[in-house]
Amino acid sequence: MDIRGYNMPEDLYYEENHFWIRDEGDTLVMGMDDFAQLLAGEIVYVQLPDEGKELKAGKKFAKIESGKWLGKVYAPVSGELIAVNEELETNPGLINDDCYGKGWMFKIKPSDKGELDNLMRTVEEIDTWLAEEIEKYVTE
Amino acid sequence: MYLFDLGDRPWEQSMLIFHALARLGVEGIDIVSPKTPFVSIGYFQDAKQEVDLEYCRKERLPVFRREIGGGTVYLDNNQIFYHIIWNRENGHFPKKISTIYEHLSAAPIETYGEFGIKARFREVNDVMTNEGRKIAGLGGGDIAESMVFVGSLILDIDYEKMTRAIKVPDEKFRDKIFKTMKENVTSMKGELGIIPPRDEIVRVLKEKYEKTLGKLESVNLNDDIIRKITELGAIFNSPEFLFQKTPRIPKGVKIKEGIEIIYGMYKAKGGLIKSAQEIENSIIKYIDISGDFTFFPKNRLPDLEETIRDTKRKDKDIIPKIKEFYEKSGAQSPGVEPQDITKAIGAGK
Repeated sequence: MDIRGYNMPEDLYYEENHFWIRDEGDTLVMGMDDFAQLLAGEIVYVQLPDEGKELKAGKKFAKIESGKWLGKVYAPVSGELIAVNEELETNPGLINDDCYGKGWMFKIKPSDKGELDNLMRTVEEIDTWLAEEIEKYVTE
Repeated sequence: MYLFDLGDRPWEQSMLIFHALARLGVEGIDIVSPKTPFVSIGYFQDAKQEVDLEYCRKERLPVFRREIGGGTVYLDNNQIFYHIIWNRENGHFPKKISTIYEHLSAAPIETYGEFGIKARFREVNDVMTNEGRKIAGLGGGDIAESMVFVGSLILDIDYEKMTRAIKVPDEKFRDKIFKTMKENVTSMKGELGIIPPRDEIVRVLKEKYEKTLGKLESVNLNDDIIRKITELGAIFNSPEFLFQKTPRIPKGVKIKEGIEIIYGMYKAKGGLIKSAQEIENSIIKYIDISGDFTFFPKNRLPDLEETIRDTKRKDKDIIPKIKEFYEKSGAQSPGVEPQDITKAIGAGK
């Protein structure tokens, strides 16, 4: 789904730091959204923490580098990190090439799936949020 | 914003200062030079893989792993660092990383200008002279709740030490890095023939940054900051942090935007093939092939290298050239096919 020029698939949840979440039952898959990967430019490294790491919603749990800038990856929900996309170790550019597919980043076993309700889901919510983000980041 | 005009400081403090200010949430700029040389690596670099640690030990060069991206750099008293720290919610700063780089490199660019060096910003994060030589290294990162932009005014460069500190897969590649660096990276001394008085440079830099950041309030390091620096020193110096293994495989050295030296390696049936290539905007401008495979007659290897020069770094462009070389020259390399050499270049489709 194209929202304001960005590819934002509608079957996903989005959190404010521009990570998407796909609900796969007991597991949540997360990655970086199209807006963030375009803004970041070429991603050169992603930290892949050990599986089993405890995640707390809104807290940083990994780092990511693009253009000599070291950014952070925030947990969209609390839970346990159960898988990382090991392909990103050698090919972090997958996030740029296919951020919703081969460029997925982490799989999480949420401790409370109810936390998904805190994320954005409807087209209206995403549209309003993206408009603000474009104003903040793109049109400066 | 606060201004910490720190002059020359112990090398470690010259780096820990911005890590401390960022964690304490102090908004400001610090301007500092290290009293003695050291080697700094990017956060995602593996010191054992990317730094010639034996050389550093011999030369008593300490190594520091910064919480900022980028690669290995040799730093000494001939650099004036500027570090700017602000809260991520501070509306006076741009949010977009590429805009941050451009916005905050205006002051050093104008400072160079005051001393007669015409420089400009080049995306993503380089400051270049009008002749296209890099004259400042920029970087940045999110640390705690702060954003940090780092850069340096380069007064002079020790190209030899800069090159020696980097670990290379084959010693013969080092000379190429040295030459490419010398051609593409410059300094105030390189441009002017002299280094202007340091106090004068710092005075101009402060003045220019006041234009970007507003009035700067000059302050000293307080007890909290000094305590934080000491605390962080213990962490950053610990072997667990400094030598943290990262799975990143060193692919080469980026000299400036658009120019890099890339290494490649491939184990073919006939032996190990290594390559170092100078890439300019995706074109192989120079290539050095080595390894332990048999190539006969040996003196034709430079011709093979010559054949590959000025080729786009894509398998489909490289393979036909190598094939044509073998056909025309009659050279032989048992167990090493044109495809193997292409793999050692590591270009990809």
